[in-house]
Amino acid sequence: MRPSNDDLIPKLSKDLCLRLLEDLEKARRPVLLATKCALDNAKYSPKVGYLTPGSKKVRTELNVSSVKKMSRAVFMLEVVLRNIDTGAVNTKRELYYIAKGEIKHNPKLKPLDFADQNESDDIIDFICEMLECYREELNCYANDRGGQTYSQDLVVTETMTDGTKAVIDLSKLGTSPFQPKNRPQNLKLSMKKKIDFALIVESEGTANTLVANGFTRRHNAIIMGAQGVPSNAVRGWAKLIQDQLKVPMYFFGDLDAYTMQNIFRTLKAGSAASLIRNSDYSAPDVKFLGVLPEDIKKYELNDYPVKENDAQEVRALKKADDALKNDPFFQDRRNKGLAAILHWLLKNKRRCEQQAYFSVNPRDPQMPEKIIVDKIKKGEFV
Amino acid sequence: MATQKITSSSTAEYFSKNLQQVGFSSQTKAVLTTLKESVDNALDACEDGGLLPEVSVEIEKLGAGSLKSADKIRIKVEDNGPGIHADMIAAVFGEYLASSKFGRGRCSRGQQGIGISAATTWAQLTNAQGALVISKTKDMRKAVKAFVEVDIKHNKGVLKNRETIDWDRPTGVSVEFVIDGRIMLNGEGGLLSYLNGTALVNPHLTLKYKLPDEEWQTIERVSNVIPQIPGATEPHPHTMKLGEFIAHSHLFGRMKASAWLRKGFSRVSDGSIAEIKKAGLKSSLLEKHVDALAEPDFRGIYTAIQNTPLMAPSTRSVLTIGEEALSKAVSRLGSVDFFSVVTRKPTICDFKPVEVEVAVARMLDSKQYDPESGVTVLRFANRVPLQFDKSACAIVKAIETVNWRAYGLQQPKDSIPLGPYVVAVSVVSPFIKFKNASKETIDASDELVEEIRRALIQAGQRLSRHIRREEKANALEEKLRYIEQFCPILVEGICRITKASDSRKKKAEEGIIKILGRDAREAEKDLKEAHESLEEHLESGAVKRASGDEDVIDTHMEHLKVGKQEAPRAAAKRLAKISEKPVALSKSAKAGKSKKSVTPANQEVFDFAKSAGGRK
Repeated sequence: MRPSNDDLIPKLSKDLCLRLLEDLEKARRPVLLATKCALDNAKYSPKVGYLTPGSKKVRTELNVSSVKKMSRAVFMLEVVLRNIDTGAVNTKRELYYIAKGEIKHNPKLKPLDFADQNESDDIIDFICEMLECYREELNCYANDRGGQTYSQDLVVTETMTDGTKAVIDLSKLGTSPFQPKNRPQNLKLSMKKKIDFALIVESEGTANTLVANGFTRRHNAIIMGAQGVPSNAVRGWAKLIQDQLKVPMYFFGDLDAYTMQNIFRTLKAGSAASLIRNSDYSAPDVKFLGVLPEDIKKYELNDYPVKENDAQEVRALKKADDALKNDPFFQDRRNKGLAAILHWLLKNKRRCEQQAYFSVNPRDPQMPEKIIVDKIKKGEFV
Repeated sequence: MATQKITSSSTAEYFSKNLQQVGFSSQTKAVLTTLKESVDNALDACEDGGLLPEVSVEIEKLGAGSLKSADKIRIKVEDNGPGIHADMIAAVFGEYLASSKFGRGRCSRGQQGIGISAATTWAQLTNAQGALVISKTKDMRKAVKAFVEVDIKHNKGVLKNRETIDWDRPTGVSVEFVIDGRIMLNGEGGLLSYLNGTALVNPHLTLKYKLPDEEWQTIERVSNVIPQIPGATEPHPHTMKLGEFIAHSHLFGRMKASAWLRKGFSRVSDGSIAEIKKAGLKSSLLEKHVDALAEPDFRGIYTAIQNTPLMAPSTRSVLTIGEEALSKAVSRLGSVDFFSVVTRKPTICDFKPVEVEVAVARMLDSKQYDPESGVTVLRFANRVPLQFDKSACAIVKAIETVNWRAYGLQQPKDSIPLGPYVVAVSVVSPFIKFKNASKETIDASDELVEEIRRALIQAGQRLSRHIRREEKANALEEKLRYIEQFCPILVEGICRITKASDSRKKKAEEGIIKILGRDAREAEKDLKEAHESLEEHLESGAVKRASGDEDVIDTHMEHLKVGKQEAPRAAAKRLAKISEKPVALSKSAKAGKSKKSVTPANQEVFDFAKSAGGRK
């Protein structure tokens, strides 16, 4: 993980601007190189465990066509540098309005005005690519979505900006979960007694149900709700649990192409769009507990065919075909079990939801819990 | 089984019960078809008589019609043609299939002699009164005035209330119908669209018209050349069926079969006869007289000639409007920004001679021609506007198959392009294959669609030179604006972050102007090249014309109105001002050639440009 250093971004920014200035003084066209964040520049090694960037760079040269983008980037850079200096944080939308406000009060800047938030978001992403940093390092945070965590044995110690420490014992929170932050690097984890495993549940609701029905009372475990595609907060938090607690981690979610590629792969190995930050935002040790294709037969689960009008799932199936051919993660032989699930999904065009475990014994609310624990014990995961 | 009586009906009876087949399928179409048939007849008559047509049209509402929700409409069309002899008036207006043009293989508007009789029938059916006709030929001292009605039972025209009157014109015909119908002025099927379309493809026409609640309007002719309708050519044997082939022989009486083949058909030469013999046809058969040939003999000759390669039919029988006349007529469409016209060389499609002409014009009136909507398509067959059933028409199909995006127009997939353009396509042929008797849609055969498509591509290529030049002018404008706007902002921002001194800032400002100034100069060069290429293209046509190259028909360049700004010079000055260094202007720009060259999108430039690619 890169050192959290408030001086790093200002230094990188100043170096970048100095290079630009020197080139301009010499009437030389400045050229900026940024890492290409796309699948064709993604590499995967099972030893590393997550997708890493290849050697491809995106070249941005100053010319009449790029001068507007470059001017906007320098302008936005000034705004985020001011935030870093004062310790203020903002979301992308807030930065959009801050930029609009600056422009409103300085008519000279009018040509920079953003027509909509997409335009300012692109500039923030462009700055990240130029500086090769995460938006969180620019004090630009996303909404802390997902990651609600329950445990009777986990203690979190957070170092505050003023240096003081806050200690959170999750067993003392009653029915409330612990909500991780987008920058979990400031958190230190410890166990009151040995934790056997951590379970990341795709559905926030199902995670709540498992806890409400006493999962964490009966087992020394951490239960976390992913709430769909994992946010940076969830990904960073899972990485932290893996690195600091070194407990086995399992993912429990739907059996479908979308879950496999967009949720589980992102959680385990990061994504192509975030190549430069996968090192801090992926948990390579997490295993896919299910729903597995063989579970359908074994537990007589209700599954159903992929509907032709389900655009998301149809698209995911198409993407799965592409992933098997081009995604280095699914192509690696260590992940052939996961690739086999994609093959099964492509061949059978059926899906099964995690909540189907509730159909095994409808009168036993603990049945899903029993199946999950049984699968972990028997090693029925990929 | 009871025996049912078989009766036979007259042609008039058939049409009187099926008027929807010949353009009377709705109230609005009834008005348009009546007008159209009257004007077509007037124009054909003037051209046949070698006269420059002056046609006046008057349409007015008289009150409620006899049919439910119909108005009583009076339609009066007058021409200065040679007039119709008194004995012929009844046949012309009151008898179906009585035509001077039927099957003659000429490019006249009317062909079968159905339309005007159908209009008379409609008037008779809805208003119990036929057509009121006044006619005067040069041999008549006084004009004849009479009501013409159709004797439906016997398919005969009948004159009623015939009288002779004094008429203040030397020759001509006036025809007046009072019918049930509804008036639709605007839209593709509207009367105005018909009148404007007719004016476009008949540059030699002076049209006066008065529509309800409006003043008289006059569209003056823009050409004094009367189109010479080429004479009919003999039929080509490959275009005939066996029955037609035998029937054709009856026109020639006692004549040897070989002579009949040579004289009675086009493209059959002595060489062709020799080929037929070589293919195995007995010489004795060709030496027989045609009136002595039996059906098996005809069949043998027919089969042999079908299997003998012959030259394609002659294209001499087709008529062209001409690029010059079409160019002048385009200005009648309204305020035109610029346009291109193409007259293709006559060609053979489906064994029929065809002439395709295209005009593509960008219009300035954004209210009438919405930039976001599909282009306005004007279709013409033998110089008659086609206003209905456009989707199945060969012309629309051809427009859809052209990749207009390559010429700078927007175009949804497999659709007509978008923008404030008029795309006018004229197809002229003595044998146009219509999809229906009301002649509203041209059958989309592959060969015809391809021929129209080629004409459209040529027109599009010419148009794109203007559009590209505009795009380059806009690009240059934007680049200059970017340099002015963003250079100071970028340099100041960089200097604030790096805390650079004023001297460094000044140096960086000079540097960025140098760098981006190079880009702007490139853009300026591109613009000049685009302009020069356009001028070269146009001027090369003028040179060919001056040298008397007959392959090139009437190619020249003329600017009716030029732009107010001289953009390349202005751009160069602006760039020089930004960089505080003079920027070299090309000779042409200095000499003011740019006066003709630069057309920013919002600038009104009327280019009257045309060339003769189709003839080359």
